[in-house]
Amino acid sequence: MTAILSVQDLIKTYPGTRKSPPVEAVRGISFEVEAGEFFGLLGPNGAGKSTTLGCITTLVRPTSGRIVVDGVDVVRDPMAVKRRIAVVPQARNLDRDLTVREVLTFHGRYFGLPRAEREARADRLLHELQVAEKAGAKPLTLSGGMQQRLMIARALMHDPKVLLLDEPTTGLDPQARRLLWDTLRGLHRRGLTLILTTHYMEEADRLCERLAIIDHGRILTIDTPAALKRTLPGGQILDVWVRGKTPVAPRLGALPGVLRVEKVERAEDEEGGERLRLFVDPGDGLLDRVLQTVRAEGADLRHVSLTAPSLEDVYIHLTGKELRE
Amino acid sequence: MTTLMALLRRDLLVAARNAPLLLMSGLTQPVLVVLVFGNVLPRLHLVAPEFRTVMLPGLMAISMLMAGVQGVLMPLMTDLAGSREVDERLLAPVTVFGVAAEKVAAGTIHAALAGLVTLPAMMLLMHGVIGAEVHPRWAVMLPLVALSGVVSAALGLTLGTHVQPRFSGLLFAVVIGPLMLFGCAYYPWASLIALGPVRYAFLLNPLTFMSEAMRLAVTPDVPHMPVPLLLAGLLAFGALFTIVGTRSFDKRTIL
Repeated sequence: MTAILSVQDLIKTYPGTRKSPPVEAVRGISFEVEAGEFFGLLGPNGAGKSTTLGCITTLVRPTSGRIVVDGVDVVRDPMAVKRRIAVVPQARNLDRDLTVREVLTFHGRYFGLPRAEREARADRLLHELQVAEKAGAKPLTLSGGMQQRLMIARALMHDPKVLLLDEPTTGLDPQARRLLWDTLRGLHRRGLTLILTTHYMEEADRLCERLAIIDHGRILTIDTPAALKRTLPGGQILDVWVRGKTPVAPRLGALPGVLRVEKVERAEDEEGGERLRLFVDPGDGLLDRVLQTVRAEGADLRHVSLTAPSLEDVYIHLTGKELRE
Repeated sequence: MTTLMALLRRDLLVAARNAPLLLMSGLTQPVLVVLVFGNVLPRLHLVAPEFRTVMLPGLMAISMLMAGVQGVLMPLMTDLAGSREVDERLLAPVTVFGVAAEKVAAGTIHAALAGLVTLPAMMLLMHGVIGAEVHPRWAVMLPLVALSGVVSAALGLTLGTHVQPRFSGLLFAVVIGPLMLFGCAYYPWASLIALGPVRYAFLLNPLTFMSEAMRLAVTPDVPHMPVPLLLAGLLAFGALFTIVGTRSFDKRTIL
């Protein structure tokens, strides 16, 4: 296997102005993506995902570090990189003065496609991405999901090797989101390398073969979703919400079957109490023991739930926080 | 080069589709000014008849300035403020400089066409009016129109990359307005000798050179600026705005 994208020690600091200090958006990120892989950058808003994507796509100048796409250095030869990649940006930036079909054919022209080829490709992509019925309409009259699919069609016009998508499903309704997921899976099956940023755990879990969890401009971990979930201690997660006079965390942590106790911070929590996440090996009587311990402390058990770990749990485990929106 | 031509083609196609609107926005102002200052006021003997001859090339220069500046500035402002359609261009196989240069080229064509449409429209309006001595010399005019177009479009690029969209109204009131009034559009540079050394301040205005260039091309009987000074002014402003505009375009688009 060869890496089609390699990012090494990427740092990006946006210079400050008189009114604002410099922003260290990316503080040393390294990762590689194999050809044909579906790779995800998962993290909250402001984590540095879009900046990383911007550096790969030549729209952001790295402060330092090296990015190589398909053997071409992004800083040294941006033109060659632009022919190899395609981008579906976060903001919908379809050319509002052209028709849907012209958006595709003109994109083909920009990349020097001969007439016959760009016309044929535009027709094929209009059908594949289910926007053919709107071929003569202006892009802004399309629904959000359709605009998103049109942006993917536009990106595919010049037959890129790597498709980068920046939060493609943000703002879409669940149905449009699922349709987009199917589209992306189809592209992946055909061998296209996909790199996606998202702050939706479910999306990352369902689509990506490998994930980098990123926060505050650094990568916390990179692995397959399954492997990431296996890094959590124990097989299950027991969330408890307790209100009492004394903290019960130490007592719960000492129970047999409880491998680890983490406090969960919640910004919107106004009711107080102690929210704990227990990584447990569920055996006989574990729930009973937890209940008894809470009662023995004279505390009030407000909520309890037992779940299989999800990516979100991995994220909370790594950062100690619920995903910031 | 293919990419640049494709971008230009797209801009011209969109402009052609909007031609009625562009014509209206480009012609309204000069037509009204010609009606009032070229027709009504001279009849009331409030303005000397020769004023028409003086004013006509100036109005032509103003239409070019407005068309060039607006043609580049307006789309650029909405683009940088959020629509980011420019990102598609920046992701095409072309340099950032190429994207900026194409904007200047499209604006130049826009401005040149505005000038070339305004002139016959005004001549038609003043047809048979005494005191309008208009004798266009096309061979001299076309290169000067092109050069004036570059100055206007490059100024649009410079302004569009420096000014926030919320200040665009202010921009026209505070920058474009004074440029029009102090740009020798309504009076020839030669007559400014009456102002003494103050007249050199008018050389800081690109429109001064554009107006004088049109005077040279359209109304040869009215005294105009010496040709070397005129060309130097147009070239210098064209180069200055292109360099400054391209640099700030790069700064605003590639973070």
